[in-house]
Amino acid sequence: MTPKSSRKLPAWALLVFVALAALAVGAQPNATGSAKAARAANKMQRRAGQQPIKLPAAVLEEPTGQVMEVAAIDRSRRPQVEEAAKKIDRLLEKRWQEQGVAGSTPLNDAQFVRRIYLELAGRIPTFDETTRFIDSKGATKRTDLIDDLLESPDFVSHTYNFWADILRLTERPQKDVFFEPYLDWVKRSIAANRPYDQWVHEMLTADGKIWENPATGYQLRDKGMPLPYVDNTVRVFLGTQIGCAQCHDHPFDSWTQHQFYELAAFTSGTRMRVGGMPEKKSGLSREEMKQALKESREKNAEAVRQIKEITQQAQKQIRAKKADNGLRLFINANLTSVSSQPGKLLLPHDYQYSDDKPLAAVSPKVLWGDIPADAESLDRRGQFAAWLTSRDNRQFARTIANRIWRKVMGVGLVEPIDDFREDNPASNPELLEHLTDVVLALDFDLREFVRVLVSTSTYQRRAVLHDPTSPSPFHFTGPALKRLTAEQLWDSIVVLIAHNEWAFQRPTSAAFEKAAEIDLTAAGTSYETVEKAYNSFQDAYGIRQYRARLQKQYGFQGQVLVRASELPGPLPLGHFLRQFGQSDRESIEGSRTVATVPQILSMFNGPITHSMLVPGSVIHDEVMSHEPRQAVDVIFLAILSHRPSAEDRAFATQEIQSADTPQAGVGNLIWALLNTREFIFIQ
Amino acid sequence: MTQQPHWLDTLSRREVFGRVARATLGVGLVPVISRQLEAAVDGKKPHAKNIIYLMMQGAMSHLDTFDPKPGRDEQGETKTIPTKTPGIVFGQSLEKLAGLSDRLAVVRSLTTETGAHEQGQYLMRTSYPMINSIRHPAFGSWAVHAMGKISKDLPSYVLVGNGNDHPGAGFLDPSLTPVPVADPTKGLENTVRPRYLSEKNFDRRLALADRIDRDFKQRYAGRQLDAYNQLYKDAVRLMGSVDLQAFDIAQEKPEVRDRYGDSKIGLGCLLARRLVESGVRCVEVEFGSWDMHRDVFEEMDEKGPQLDRAMASLLEDLEQRGLLDSTLVVLATEFGRTPRINENAGRDHHPGVFSCVLAGAGVQGGAVYGQSDESGFRPDKDPVSVADFNTTIAAACGLPYEKEFHAPNGRPFKIGGGGKPISAVLA
Repeated sequence: MTPKSSRKLPAWALLVFVALAALAVGAQPNATGSAKAARAANKMQRRAGQQPIKLPAAVLEEPTGQVMEVAAIDRSRRPQVEEAAKKIDRLLEKRWQEQGVAGSTPLNDAQFVRRIYLELAGRIPTFDETTRFIDSKGATKRTDLIDDLLESPDFVSHTYNFWADILRLTERPQKDVFFEPYLDWVKRSIAANRPYDQWVHEMLTADGKIWENPATGYQLRDKGMPLPYVDNTVRVFLGTQIGCAQCHDHPFDSWTQHQFYELAAFTSGTRMRVGGMPEKKSGLSREEMKQALKESREKNAEAVRQIKEITQQAQKQIRAKKADNGLRLFINANLTSVSSQPGKLLLPHDYQYSDDKPLAAVSPKVLWGDIPADAESLDRRGQFAAWLTSRDNRQFARTIANRIWRKVMGVGLVEPIDDFREDNPASNPELLEHLTDVVLALDFDLREFVRVLVSTSTYQRRAVLHDPTSPSPFHFTGPALKRLTAEQLWDSIVVLIAHNEWAFQRPTSAAFEKAAEIDLTAAGTSYETVEKAYNSFQDAYGIRQYRARLQKQYGFQGQVLVRASELPGPLPLGHFLRQFGQSDRESIEGSRTVATVPQILSMFNGPITHSMLVPGSVIHDEVMSHEPRQAVDVIFLAILSHRPSAEDRAFATQEIQSADTPQAGVGNLIWALLNTREFIFIQ
Repeated sequence: MTQQPHWLDTLSRREVFGRVARATLGVGLVPVISRQLEAAVDGKKPHAKNIIYLMMQGAMSHLDTFDPKPGRDEQGETKTIPTKTPGIVFGQSLEKLAGLSDRLAVVRSLTTETGAHEQGQYLMRTSYPMINSIRHPAFGSWAVHAMGKISKDLPSYVLVGNGNDHPGAGFLDPSLTPVPVADPTKGLENTVRPRYLSEKNFDRRLALADRIDRDFKQRYAGRQLDAYNQLYKDAVRLMGSVDLQAFDIAQEKPEVRDRYGDSKIGLGCLLARRLVESGVRCVEVEFGSWDMHRDVFEEMDEKGPQLDRAMASLLEDLEQRGLLDSTLVVLATEFGRTPRINENAGRDHHPGVFSCVLAGAGVQGGAVYGQSDESGFRPDKDPVSVADFNTTIAAACGLPYEKEFHAPNGRPFKIGGGGKPISAVLA
């Protein structure tokens, strides 16, 4: 700081923020019942001379112990990573030369630290993290930071949000499908950095109840919709849209309705109810499977009778209003179990093409290539999964390479990323094929792939404007300018408020199983046992009770101050995250980053902005722990991750001095920085 | 920018794009059109000045609502009720609308090729198929673009609902993007300045933000930032407006709310009526969960009456206030559902034929246009494309549906997608 600015500033009173906070809290225009109650409580506290309000205790304390176990990065692989990054840079530079364009300006350290935190940790860096990085010396400080962040819980949280948008993750995708174990499994798979091909293979072939085998969640997401399931799966993992062919031959692609049904025939035998399920769950040949099924059906006759009795009793109670409808859903969830069974798929009765007859049985056939030889003896679903995730199925690797490229660089080499077609070629085919090779060479280690991409010099350049409607392709002279995703914005704001944004994490699969599992087929299970189990389940995980508990323990003015990845979804429409475009988790990649008026009103007057002015908030405490004359720098570093220019510093200081009170001036500055475009975009 | 060789080698769509010179930066559309000129052409009843568009997301079953097939197996458990229009029946849950059928124009022969929700909704809203290289404007944005604002302070286009998949203003000016209202009971939130913050201080904050932001804004001047810059201005103007109470449905009597029903569509319709009364040009109300792959009859028992109450109350209120002569009400959905009832007692996607409804200004009440075959599978008579349907809406509003507008990339587009208006349903 310049001596000039320090000389003129009056000393801040300790009550700067206390006063501000009191004002901020009294000003909620759309107060909810609980906020009203809090206000009344505050009034009483103020009279008693206490601090006016407090953030929830749970988010005030620094975290203790390990937040999450995350697989370590192999630091010895750095030289290989650098080499792979250089190769990508060379391919891009070649293109720039051909086109006569130049790379954008390289990022300085302040710009880099903000970009890399948002990219890998899903949030802006804290004041400490920013200053430590900017002020440190050392040739490897950028690569060290990349590697540190890749093994942080923040990376897991951010990557979870990325997949939650693609896989449509929500607690209750259907009323009787309980997804908590699957959500936890996705999170843990990311933390363990499981190879992508194995991860996908497991999702496509998982059997059992969701808490026995959480990977079944992927198939259960489209429970009761076998044809959309195939469409979604091909779209997500193979970047190909065959959905139109469900009803008729694709109008502008080569897919026929017959091909769609041939592919669907692989998975149409998947069943989702218990009963008749073989004991051994995988690796069976088709013949063995049939035999096992028959035996298991005979063995389960008594169990089937018992289930029927309990279900009927439950229905009677519900009709008599002695139990609520949730009981039926709870029983259904306990009767839901995924298994693959032999089955025939018939063409629709209105099939209109000459190559086959309506209602003819369809034999399974893949869209391209062959089923791997070692999978030929597996059941149909196993064959499908083996084909889809095979190294020889290059489109599988190409799709994920393009998807991750778009996440990092802002624009896919093929756009939209789920519409690969002959007449929709890559803007740089050589680069896309190279990236596909990199993914294969890394054995589908996606975290390592991200490590390579963010280590390129191209990534570490200033963002470039991208116009999706421009007739000329994007040359990647730098990453495309992006607005923060809803989750990045939320998590950034949460770390400006909460000292412990990890105070709450979603339940583990094991904990959920303990509350939800009831064996309806076990000898002695009666309606009464089921009802009792249901009641205690509702207390713990009934969506309403669960939300209320979160609000009570971690809520502040209606906002639960924990990481976006841990909040139950879908969030209500008016939630900050939804305002800024978080997906409703109904359509694949439904999130958006477009501007709306309510977003701005929320930044202007919403409770989130005002939470920053409360004693105990991170930014409040940060400003208070510094000399008053450093306030301007602290606020800039905490919110925009750089020091102000001399001119801005002088202006901001002047602003604080000339405000009605200095405290109002500080509040004005924090508010102003949050309402810049610089804050919500990534340079 | 230079043209890429490989780019020119690719197929038609891109080739066309490539050769069209980009006329201007930003939005190169002609200015607001004088509607009077167009209106003079037919000299019939007055055109709609406001539009309320009810979007049934997830694909509303035509067989269980506006196009039942009594006596057929395909009808399943849905019974029918007679309407005021002789010979026409509706699904049993649409009791009130049946009594208002003389105000409705039912189109029973819509047909598309798109059986995917996102693409289907996009087509309904924009009249154009979803493609990679351009974002088309939703009908409401077209309407406001052509007809202008009514209220100075209030937004001209409001979307009650989620809006994530909404095409918004497309290639038109970002200021024509609908303002979303997530929850009708909360209206537009955060519109009041904190009590401690004087207007002067608020302006001061804005000025400070502007000043700190100037380098960044300059460096990245373009459409992405412009959208935010523009909306910051809108938000400030809105905050000072006395008309904001239009967003507050709590000002309605409890009896009125009861009449509309305590459902998303009920409260949404009530809010839409208030907004139109206060000078909002166009309101879209989203009503989801029509994707009834399972238990369609159970689900219909819940949703059908909600829609019935809401839309009937809306029409009655508009009429009573004399607003039905200037307001067009559209009930739309992205496609129909299969006549065949599946193994989960549900119906699957069926773009082959489906029904939509028009009412109010510019519309011939009591009309029933087109018909599906005996099982409700495909159009039997007078098939209607989405472009035809949307061009009909444009005609009811007196918009120049034959005129070509040019997007920034030089391509021509028409309001309504270049279809033929259905004169039989126009007043």
